[in-house]
Amino acid sequence: MALAAWGLGAVAALAWPLLAPPYFVFLATLVAVNAVVAIGLNLLSGYTNQLSFGHAGFLAIGAYTAAILTLRAPALPVPLTLLAAGLVTGLVGLALGIPCLRLDGLYLAMATLAFGFVVTEGITNLDALTHGNDGLRVPLARLGPWTLATDGSRYYLALAVAAAMILAALNVAGTRTGRAFLAIRTSEIAAQASGVNAAAYKTVAFVLSAFYTGVAGGLFAFVVGFLSPDAFDVFLSVDFLVMIILGGLGSVWGAVAGAAVVTVLNDSLAGLQTYRPLIFGAILIACMLFVPGGLAAMTRRQS
Amino acid sequence: MRQLVLLVVALLVGSPGFARAADPGVTDTEILLGGSNSFSGPLAFTGTQLTKVGVDLYFRGLNEGGGVHGRRIRTIYYDDGYRPQDAVANTRKLVEQDGIFAVIAPQGSPPVVATLEYLEQSRVPMLFPFQSSTATRGRKYVFSGLVLSDRQSRMMIDYLAGPRKFKRFAALYQDDEYGKSFLSAFETDLGRHGLKLGATEPVKRGVTDVSAQVAKLQAAKPEVTFLVLTPGPAAQALKERQKIGWTDSVMVSTGPLTDETYLGLAGDASEGVEGLATLPDPLRSDQPGVKLYREQLQKYFPKNEPNRYSLSGYLAGMMFAEGAKRAGRTLTRDGLVAALETIKGWDTGIVPAITIGPDHDTQKQGFWVKVENGRFKPLSDWLKSEP
Repeated sequence: MALAAWGLGAVAALAWPLLAPPYFVFLATLVAVNAVVAIGLNLLSGYTNQLSFGHAGFLAIGAYTAAILTLRAPALPVPLTLLAAGLVTGLVGLALGIPCLRLDGLYLAMATLAFGFVVTEGITNLDALTHGNDGLRVPLARLGPWTLATDGSRYYLALAVAAAMILAALNVAGTRTGRAFLAIRTSEIAAQASGVNAAAYKTVAFVLSAFYTGVAGGLFAFVVGFLSPDAFDVFLSVDFLVMIILGGLGSVWGAVAGAAVVTVLNDSLAGLQTYRPLIFGAILIACMLFVPGGLAAMTRRQS
Repeated sequence: MRQLVLLVVALLVGSPGFARAADPGVTDTEILLGGSNSFSGPLAFTGTQLTKVGVDLYFRGLNEGGGVHGRRIRTIYYDDGYRPQDAVANTRKLVEQDGIFAVIAPQGSPPVVATLEYLEQSRVPMLFPFQSSTATRGRKYVFSGLVLSDRQSRMMIDYLAGPRKFKRFAALYQDDEYGKSFLSAFETDLGRHGLKLGATEPVKRGVTDVSAQVAKLQAAKPEVTFLVLTPGPAAQALKERQKIGWTDSVMVSTGPLTDETYLGLAGDASEGVEGLATLPDPLRSDQPGVKLYREQLQKYFPKNEPNRYSLSGYLAGMMFAEGAKRAGRTLTRDGLVAALETIKGWDTGIVPAITIGPDHDTQKQGFWVKVENGRFKPLSDWLKSEP
């Protein structure tokens, strides 16, 4: 039964571009991109309980890395570009993670918040590379002889990447590293007492999270086709947090579901954006009051 | 399972994108227009006044009079908060889901430029974007909404170096597409007069403290200082100038800056500032078109004061209606583009007669103003920007 449901889901995902109108294909691609970010953020915030308000910054680094690489080396196949975007962002995550380890709770949130601003300022000021505030047009992604010019092709790219990232995240969650993350979330002191090197694992979580977000940033660049520092403001970071809180902290599928709900909701609320923060705020409060475990906990309770 | 199939079917049938007629957005009784604009973020006031007050005001009046060839005009707007990626998503949604006929009056260079390629490829007209960079020129489906920077520069330099005989120029500019496009145009036009742009000082977007730049410019002793900024930092520059007692240079603001918001922010520091205005005074002009605009604003949106943003949107609505009227009862996107290109010497009652040439520039003129007792006083007649 479960297998049939998975099969049906996979078929639906694969057949989507053939069935749905172009705009829904584009929207589904955005869902896949945001899902990768949400899984990455979840590894940090959901598993190790470290709140980050700076993931829009990581997304920006990934996006600009991919865009600049494609501009300078147009022949590079897109999987390598995305990998490079992830690695560069991961390195930045490492550099940020080491000093941030000394902070926790509110202070870490503040440091990551500042990081987000530093990144957008950096992009604005590195005119020669990023074209600053004027924005950067991203060339089409290439895969060998193919150019990913259609919505469908970009959808399949995002879907493949998201699938790989989901599998990897599910595996991480089951390993010693994943269990160490969860132990840190429950109680950092208890985890340390049981021999978990909290500092080291928190760094690993930070780097992994940055890597995921960087890869998503690369996808984002190709999907949207135009980058500018305005795109990566603090509200985007907050949206990512809403995704994982709504989906359920510490659940990979929850992050995917949260990303889907927030992306679609964001899209349908485009006409009344003045009320958007109000609606999102209400959702967050409702989540915390009634379903602290998010969408993931709701399904768990039913089954 | 059955539910899922039903859902998919419902989605497909329900989407206007699936069974699309030749040109979407036009029915026997309606024309649907739309746009992504700023209704939140730094330019929320401008965006709201431009579209929901200005554009919609003209269409309200038009619809009550029977519309264009029996079709009423309806508009949909989505908020992008000045974020390019949201502008892209909104524009795609408008075109592919809502099935708009054309985009009307989007705002700001980054969101406009981000959607440019997509609209051009989809052959959807982008009508009268509210931005002045020349990046939008030379496209089949785009018609500019403001006087573009090179034309503004030509009028400003020809006037200042010509009748006013100034020789030494400096500029305080925003360090982005907006500022740089003006700067390079100033250099070209000064070159034609055998002059050069002296000191230039950049201001990063979003920065409000400009005291260091103002001090450096004062030391360069220019006769004219251009302010290529947004209202906030420009007002700050004027206050700073007042504070340090720098009086021997004429401050000149560019077209996008010359508006009442900026005067309000600068207070009495704006006294004596000059600039290029591209629209007549929305509060006091006795041009017939501007008078009608004020009457309709009073009638339909009595809570809104007249300003240059809603007047600009009103003019955009008027230009679309003229194009649609000329295109005839069979309205297509290519037909609209062709019809707009036939506009020659058309009087709007707001700005000088409009002629749309192959460059698709709709606005080409401006006039010189000087701030006296807190309001803009015209110093010249309409200036020309044709070479």
